[in-house]
Amino acid sequence: MSYLSISNVTKQFGDAVVVDNFNLDIEKGEFVSFLGPSGCGKTTTLRMVAGFEIPTSGRILLDGADITDKAPNQRNVGMIFQSYALFPNMTVAQNIGFGLRVRKEPEAMIKQRVDEMVGLINLEKHANKYPYQLSGGQQQRVSLARALANRPQVLLLDEPLSALDAKIRVSLRAEIRAIQKSLGITAIFVTHDQEEALSISDRIVVMNVGEMEQVGTPFEIYNFPKTRFVANFVGSLNTADAEVVDPAKGLVSMDGVQLEAAEGTDGRKKGDKVKIAIRPERLSFASEQKKANVVDCIIENITFLGAVVRIQVKIGNTKFNMDTFNNPFLELPKIGAKEQVTCSKEAVLVLDD
Amino acid sequence: MASEKIRKVVEMSGISFGVRVGKQGNRKSWSLSRLGTRFWSWFWFILGALYFLLPLYATANFSLRMERDVIGFKAYIRAFEDPEFLKTFLYSNVLALLTIVASIILIVPTAYWIRLRLPEARRIVEFITLLPFVVPAIILVFGLIRIYSSPIKIPFTDTTLFQPLTTFEVGTDILIVAGYMVLGLPYMYRSVDTGMRTVDVRTLTEAAQSLGASWFTIIVRVILPNIRAALLSGALLTFAIVVGEVTLASFLGVPAFGPYLFLLGQHRAYEPAALSFASFLLTWVAMGLIQLFTGGQGQAAGAH
Repeated sequence: MSYLSISNVTKQFGDAVVVDNFNLDIEKGEFVSFLGPSGCGKTTTLRMVAGFEIPTSGRILLDGADITDKAPNQRNVGMIFQSYALFPNMTVAQNIGFGLRVRKEPEAMIKQRVDEMVGLINLEKHANKYPYQLSGGQQQRVSLARALANRPQVLLLDEPLSALDAKIRVSLRAEIRAIQKSLGITAIFVTHDQEEALSISDRIVVMNVGEMEQVGTPFEIYNFPKTRFVANFVGSLNTADAEVVDPAKGLVSMDGVQLEAAEGTDGRKKGDKVKIAIRPERLSFASEQKKANVVDCIIENITFLGAVVRIQVKIGNTKFNMDTFNNPFLELPKIGAKEQVTCSKEAVLVLDD
Repeated sequence: MASEKIRKVVEMSGISFGVRVGKQGNRKSWSLSRLGTRFWSWFWFILGALYFLLPLYATANFSLRMERDVIGFKAYIRAFEDPEFLKTFLYSNVLALLTIVASIILIVPTAYWIRLRLPEARRIVEFITLLPFVVPAIILVFGLIRIYSSPIKIPFTDTTLFQPLTTFEVGTDILIVAGYMVLGLPYMYRSVDTGMRTVDVRTLTEAAQSLGASWFTIIVRVILPNIRAALLSGALLTFAIVVGEVTLASFLGVPAFGPYLFLLGQHRAYEPAALSFASFLLTWVAMGLIQLFTGGQGQAAGAH
């Protein structure tokens, strides 16, 4: 049996269904991210696990115990908020020790745990400072230490990096992941930032309008999106209308240009309207060795993005982006030039129209 | 060219509002205009300050001239020597403290709950808190006397819950504290509500809950310390209202400081002035103490 089980959970506010029949099993020590746009129900689901919202229907089990109707202070769940939510009237040490004091733990044990936590987040020198004397990144680390000091069964992170600048965000997410791994704590991370979710998670739950679109490892979610929404939401994607030509061979036609797909045509009939999707980095200029999916194109535009050069090509009547790593010695084609591009058949994703 | 054009338009329109339109000459008019703005700012500030300070000065000056051609503290000595002064002053202070404690117990959880769970009730509660400005104290005290001068019974039965509150001392004290709570409601509620606006009550509550805190712990250890400055402001205003209140105290017949000062004013000239000035100084000391004790919190709240 899984450690945290969210079964058939639905949440309604009035007539609006915010979370619809959500099912997820999370193993102990797993790091799961809820990824989706604003209003997709990811935070509401997290808040139901925390106890701040009660599901309209469905059950939530934690380590075999039903916590669905338990008050937030009766669940052993740690929560980290986007706005840090540190108590302004308490020092770093007092903030971290708050939960232990509430539990009336012995003072010696509180001191020991606070020291341990302050060490874990490398803020030993700031233990007696107030939150307003710390930077945003430091405050969020204190918030993490405060949540972990109680040794919660599950750690819930509600967009904890959104209020930080880009560099701090990257370093802190690595820190959060390292601490989570070292403590072996089960964590749920809510974010709308796909890069964050891809870089930090064991598994990702992609959500849209209250429903789960796909659950999988970052690799699966990025490389094998099962729905058009996931394909579009995670990473950048070229999409085009196409028609199934030969379902058995995986052949589809786009503006008269035939492409071969590794999967996605099974169960479809010849003439079915579909969408094809190709990631920009899966396209490359055709070399003589490559014979599959080689198509003619015209160079439309070239954009230098630093580490990557984005080349816009026109295949038939459709414009595709092609990403290639920057190389100072790379000879880029001229705009308007006729070239050939290629991609593997695994790179061609066939999605419902 | 563009600046010349702008200058022409401004000159033609006859408007001069300190826009920097040209080179040297325009810079001069800009700084003159700025000087003018600063002059008027200071003018209104000084006028306002005089409006408050002159009567205060006059009262202080008058209170020191009890003896002909001598400036001294005789009025203060005589006022403080009167045993009625100490008795009524202490009584009013006790009433003020009781009112403040009862108001905090009632208003803090109410304002907290409205902010947290019932934001839609905020307008109604704000309207209720403004009623004491509209309904005069005389109406309030007559209402209290009318209702509580007869025994309170359980509705539809003959069982008496308690005797008329106006017939015994503690009962009257309860009535007057309740009345003062109503009079202080706009100040206390608004102070507390403003204090809660400066902290993210909802998120702090959720953070404390996730750490295992009960509602009582959250209010006492998280909310109250973070609205300390607001509470002190509300308490000070309530204190000032209660200590100087005359209507409720007179009609309920309690030995409070307000009626004492009123009576003194009818029979003596210098002592009431001395006591008024002393009360004013007391208020200022209290405000200074608030600044002293909440200076750090203001900084924290600002950073937050």
